[in-house]
Amino acid sequence: MFFRVIPKREIPDLVRGLAHEFEVVGPVAKGESFVFAPLTDPSELRLDYDTTLLPAKQWFFPASETLMRFRVADNAVVDDSVDVTPRVLFGLHPCDVNSLLLMDNVFLGDDPDPYYKARRDNTLIVGLSCMPTDTCFCDAWGTDETHWGFDIFLSEIGDDYYASIRSVKGAEVVDRYVTGREVTEEDTAAFQARTASFKAAFASDIDTSQLPVLLDAKYDSGIWAELGDLCLSCGACSMVCPTCHCFDVHDELEADQTHGTRVRTWDSCMFRDFAEVAHGNFREVRAARVRYRYYHKQWGYLSRFERVLCVGCGRCTRACKAHIDPPRVVRALQTGVVDR
Amino acid sequence: MAPRVVVLSLASDFGCQVQLSNMTDEILDVLGLIDLSYWQLASSGHMPDAYDVAIVEGAVTTDEHVALLESVRATAGVVIAIGACANTGGIPGLANLLDLDERYGVVYGDGDGPRVAAGRRAPMPLDSVIAVDYHVPGCPIDPPEFLRVLSRVLLGLKNRVPDLTMCASCKINETVCFFDRGELCLGLVTRAGCGARCPSLNRPCTGCRGIAPDANLVAARAISIASGRPEGALDDALRIYNTAKEVRG
Ligand code: SF4
Ligand code: SF4
Ligand code: SF4
Ligand code: SF4
Repeated sequence: MFFRVIPKREIPDLVRGLAHEFEVVGPVAKGESFVFAPLTDPSELRLDYDTTLLPAKQWFFPASETLMRFRVADNAVVDDSVDVTPRVLFGLHPCDVNSLLLMDNVFLGDDPDPYYKARRDNTLIVGLSCMPTDTCFCDAWGTDETHWGFDIFLSEIGDDYYASIRSVKGAEVVDRYVTGREVTEEDTAAFQARTASFKAAFASDIDTSQLPVLLDAKYDSGIWAELGDLCLSCGACSMVCPTCHCFDVHDELEADQTHGTRVRTWDSCMFRDFAEVAHGNFREVRAARVRYRYYHKQWGYLSRFERVLCVGCGRCTRACKAHIDPPRVVRALQTGVVDR
Repeated sequence: MAPRVVVLSLASDFGCQVQLSNMTDEILDVLGLIDLSYWQLASSGHMPDAYDVAIVEGAVTTDEHVALLESVRATAGVVIAIGACANTGGIPGLANLLDLDERYGVVYGDGDGPRVAAGRRAPMPLDSVIAVDYHVPGCPIDPPEFLRVLSRVLLGLKNRVPDLTMCASCKINETVCFFDRGELCLGLVTRAGCGARCPSLNRPCTGCRGIAPDANLVAARAISIASGRPEGALDDALRIYNTAKEVRG
């Protein structure tokens, strides 16, 4: 890793430069909220954003994507190309950078998913420091820092960014499109101070002690039925979650019925039909589905990859009309009571 | 042999049939696959005696409708209910809240009311009278969804309507939730499948696709109240498309 100081006023130059080589996607305003969207002009970029409605996963694993087109008559695949646009994701907060690393464990394991991999290989990640909002709790899982998973990470220090550069490609674009300057000891001190004030600003106080043990010990606890009664089974939590990665695959025929497409769409374990199999449904009741979501995230994934499948981004906190989110579920596990 | 298809209407405004005729990009492809024997909106002829697939729009509101549906069921191998009226009773279903005899009197006069009202019934969805094989809900229907269902019919695959609620599709659209803007939205409990179109066009969901089998109405009522709506607001809003289903249980 090496470093560079980039004055904030050079960011438009960087974005314009990147736009020669890439589609630049960054946070832009949508009403009172923000979304990651392709930029048409650097002025649209809102580096002061709090969080986005959907996370960055859509740029690697779209909500709906065509895996292949086939011909019905002889079952032949007529097109299985992956449409990959070289892209920069500009301005991902640490939680979102970390979320991609968790997704990589799933999609880039022994048998990599070619669609995800093609997009991942063609995407540059520019991280950005942030300040916690009242829904953030990345500090609980240690995902408030990120040391890899980006090409460039911009930490705000006054009128400048302290840029950590992690990849050759990252170094090339910085060289090419910004002037910047060498880092001094004062800059590094400012970076440390910035990090300290960031860490001090967290309001969350989740007690994660013994979480996997509690999940097992309280498998039959009444808290799950209580949470199940509140849950709408809407799946909003999974859709907005940067680490939820379940999908469904189905075929659709075109109007003349001679060709069809195989489509993959986001799915959620909160949907009743998610667990419907030939013999019936193994998570028929809502309580079992809410419990499963937390089991998978805070225990199942942990036992395989030594991290929980949550980065504390708080998107589910904002999206869930029933106010079911990791802080509340963890509190319920610790105290045995679902708070109102 | 291409299946012989009839399209007919009970009590409705023909909006769903108009939607079928709006499928300008696909209609020729579809017509190449079926033998369209009768289309109430578009043909002046009569219903044939024999056909394979019946596409029915509208709510059941008369004894005549019941007799027609019974004969349709006896004739067609496949019955497809299209639109809110046929699937939930839809807007005609609101009449279930009224005293029908009294209303006929108000509309047609005390003399004619009882005569006109003979053979009338409280509006109901098709499946209150006959078994329905495929459902295309919505007011009006969504042509792409209709085509997906028709494709399943032609392939002999079973009916597949999403049982889940609207909010997941709405999240995918990145629409700012109406509850976060202080408004009620029936997407909380309404059957998915339209891609959360109304919220994406800046209108709350009005529940035209019917209440999702997987909806949690008790939880949704509590959320509506917690968001500052009066008690009963959610159920009142649901009436417009879901009264008949609710009355029938
Ligand atoms: S579970 Fe919630 S807080 Fe955790 S990563 Fe998913 S959306 Fe973010
Ligand atoms: S929590 Fe549910 S939807 Fe998310 S990854 Fe796990 S099983 Fe899939
Ligand atoms: S936890 Fe909340 S967002 Fe998730 S399915 Fe239940 S009600 Fe919907
Ligand atoms: S706007 Fe309506 S459909 Fe969308 S998330 Fe909110 S309640 Fe659900």
